[in-house]
Amino acid sequence: MPPKQRTPSSQPAPSSTSTPSKPTSSKAASNSMDAQAIATDIWNKYVDKTPQRVKLLDSFLAFLVVVGVLQFVYCVIVGNFPFNAFLSGFSATVGQFVLTASLRIQTNPENKSEFESISHERAFADFVFGSLLLHFFCVNFIN
Amino acid sequence: MRWLFSLVVVALLAAVQAVSFTGKRLLVVLDEASEKEKYSVFLGDLEGRGFHVTTESPKSDSLSLFRHGERAYDHVVLLPAKSKGLGPALTANLILDFLKKEGNILLALSSESATPTSVQSLLLELDIHIPSDKGALVVDHFNYDSSSASEKHDVLLLPYPTNLKSGVKNYFGGDGYIAVPRAVGQTLGNESPLLAPILRAPSTAYSYNPKDEADTVEDPFATGSQLNLVSAVQAHNSARLAVLGSAEILQNAWFAEKATLAGKDIKTANRDFAEKLSSWTFKETGVLKVGKLIHYLDEGVSKKLNSSVAVPENNPKIYRIKQDVAFQVEISEYSNTHLTPFVPADGDSIQLEFSMLSPFHRLDLTPISQTANSTIFGVSFKTPDQHGIFNFHVKYNRPFLTNIEEKRQVTVRHFAHDEWPRSWQISGAWVWIGGIWVTVLGWVAFVGLWLYSAPTEKSIKKTQ
Amino acid sequence: MKLLHSFTSSLIVSGACLASAASSWSFQDATIAIQSKGAGVGAGTKETLNPNTPLAKSVSLGATDTLKLLLTTTDGKKAKRPHQAFLTLTDPTTGLEESFVLSVKENGKGKVDLTQKDLPVQFLTSAKPIPASIVIGSFGSSTAYKSTAFDLNVSRDPNVPLAIPEPPTRYAAEQEIHHIFRDDPRSPPKIITLVFAAAVLGAVPVLLGVWATLGANVNHFGKAFGNAPISHGLFFGSILAMEGIFFLYYTSWNLFQTLPAATIVGSVAFLSGSRALSEVQERRLAGLR
Repeated sequence: MPPKQRTPSSQPAPSSTSTPSKPTSSKAASNSMDAQAIATDIWNKYVDKTPQRVKLLDSFLAFLVVVGVLQFVYCVIVGNFPFNAFLSGFSATVGQFVLTASLRIQTNPENKSEFESISHERAFADFVFGSLLLHFFCVNFIN
Repeated sequence: MRWLFSLVVVALLAAVQAVSFTGKRLLVVLDEASEKEKYSVFLGDLEGRGFHVTTESPKSDSLSLFRHGERAYDHVVLLPAKSKGLGPALTANLILDFLKKEGNILLALSSESATPTSVQSLLLELDIHIPSDKGALVVDHFNYDSSSASEKHDVLLLPYPTNLKSGVKNYFGGDGYIAVPRAVGQTLGNESPLLAPILRAPSTAYSYNPKDEADTVEDPFATGSQLNLVSAVQAHNSARLAVLGSAEILQNAWFAEKATLAGKDIKTANRDFAEKLSSWTFKETGVLKVGKLIHYLDEGVSKKLNSSVAVPENNPKIYRIKQDVAFQVEISEYSNTHLTPFVPADGDSIQLEFSMLSPFHRLDLTPISQTANSTIFGVSFKTPDQHGIFNFHVKYNRPFLTNIEEKRQVTVRHFAHDEWPRSWQISGAWVWIGGIWVTVLGWVAFVGLWLYSAPTEKSIKKTQ
Repeated sequence: MKLLHSFTSSLIVSGACLASAASSWSFQDATIAIQSKGAGVGAGTKETLNPNTPLAKSVSLGATDTLKLLLTTTDGKKAKRPHQAFLTLTDPTTGLEESFVLSVKENGKGKVDLTQKDLPVQFLTSAKPIPASIVIGSFGSSTAYKSTAFDLNVSRDPNVPLAIPEPPTRYAAEQEIHHIFRDDPRSPPKIITLVFAAAVLGAVPVLLGVWATLGANVNHFGKAFGNAPISHGLFFGSILAMEGIFFLYYTSWNLFQTLPAATIVGSVAFLSGSRALSEVQERRLAGLR
């Protein structure tokens, strides 16, 4: 758990030292401190409260984002020839991201009340079906 | 139909020595029977070349260029008449209709008799201009026959026309001098490409009217080489009309006469020139015939055009963009008695246009091979990167040659979906291909993980 | 045209030989003057022409100038009016000729005025000097005269645009046309592609690494296969098979090979999937997930 270890060590040190030494420093500095503090807080909360299964799912989502961004940046740098390859490659990651995100929403224990009628397994079956269809379209379109 | 036609041609060739490519019914229009004697050698030569000559007077009731709405004759020789009008059978409109039905006319003028009004309006219609006053003729104080016209200088002695223009075949060349007595000079309108001079006046010649009392020429009708003594019209349908400034060129009296040019005794070559002029006018020379036209996908193997009429052209109807296509066309020239391989003049070439509305390619065709009676011209090219309905279009219009216009329509289609290069052949696509398969791989791993991952100790504790 | 020229010139030579026998046409007292507009009488250049030799210097005709040619025609030695007295210009490149008639009086005095307005457009644009010859001839036995008298240089005012008429259509071979093809699209430099492709592929091990740190495992594999071996095997196998079919479709198969195979594998996945997932559900309800 590297993030967990990082948070306690790095977080308190700057906040405690900077506030007394520069009381008159600009608001921006304190604001950024606040923003950082809020972000850290959210991160801690996420790490603590999220079930491990959802974290696995989230890391898959992050992976898709990285792959998608790489493809997009490549397209921006070298141009979109061959365009169909760009479309299918990029939309594969975007589509997969959307499908995975909906799986996450449906299986997240926090949303249990909203998706009472849909079992996790049913959601997963839909996810598998949708993903296979997406893969077929992408493979078909890239030529 | 085509084989029948060629069979007829072969039969005709076997039957007679020389004959026109289009027909042998010839009408000679002249005023009086006595006049006919003057032209007897010329008319005899025409009969000897296989024409069926009919002689009619313009006043005759039986004279008609048409019968049942079709041409009654294939060719007409219009010799000058004494009368001012040519009668109801030879109005300018009827003569034009005769040309429209692909009849050929040899029109001879004379300065001794007034040009009939119907001929005047006919020439005006064709943008050929002749002096309006009766009796105007061409004189040249340099190139005249000093034995017959030592005083009047109105019998011109001219060499045969040499190459008239680069890229134009000369059907009127020869050795010797042509006597042109008392010619009516013509000037040609500048606009029409259908008009062509055959024999121009020398640069020192001019046209004047001897009845004019003035001692000196003040305002000549035309001077020098702007003045034509013999000129030609070939209509879009290849009908031919030759205007001969002096009918006397065709008379026996000048066919092989002794003449003196600047002290030198010569013999006129009018008989030969008359033959050349009439053979051209009546389509014995300068007639082109297109045989087969083939095009095919050029796959490195050159196909040979089979000129046999039994084998159909069998051309493809469709090509793809950016394909190599070869084109061949077979062209013959009819020359007096038979079809010969056609050879364009120096500096001229037959061109192929590959066109959709406007030409995308216009390419010179080069002679590939020759058969006994035709030349096969060909060219290879790449279809443009534009799909649509295209034409292989050969349009060959040249002075003194019958017009060729051939079209073959083909469709040029785009790449079919399976003719594009596959994505992995394009290096630029590798990243995106990778994107897809990485997604698939990650997804399969995720599915496995979702199905079979046991919760870790910590997370169990947490949920509990 | 050329032949005709040489023909006429040879004629002149032979005519010159004859000159001793018969009388011949010629001219005398010939002057050529260029007068500029606005300049007084007598201003401008003036040259004397000799019937036997052309003028050495070429005559220059400006935009507003008037060329005045004055001469007296002679038959033998006597001044006489001929029937034909022309000043003929010949374009050396195109062979175009234009004759200007000299108005000759009874006593043989002739003159002609020439400005740029009288000249056809071809002469105005001619790059070379235009040879001008004098032609004198008449009926009877006297030999006619023709000889180049001078070269005319037409100097145009470059600021005045010249209306050159469209050349009339003549049947001749036209300029060739070759279709210009659009450039083929080009792939970017391979090195960039390879770097990005490596980055994309590298994302997979990173994902696996992250999963590993999060404690991912396949420990329930045995359990799942113990509970429902056939349906789990078929389900996961069919998903793998489906992706394999996609890969074959990408590399070699066509749609008609792909679709039947995908249908079969898909129905297997559907049937086995429902059972496999019920097993998963049992595990979940048992709190093992």
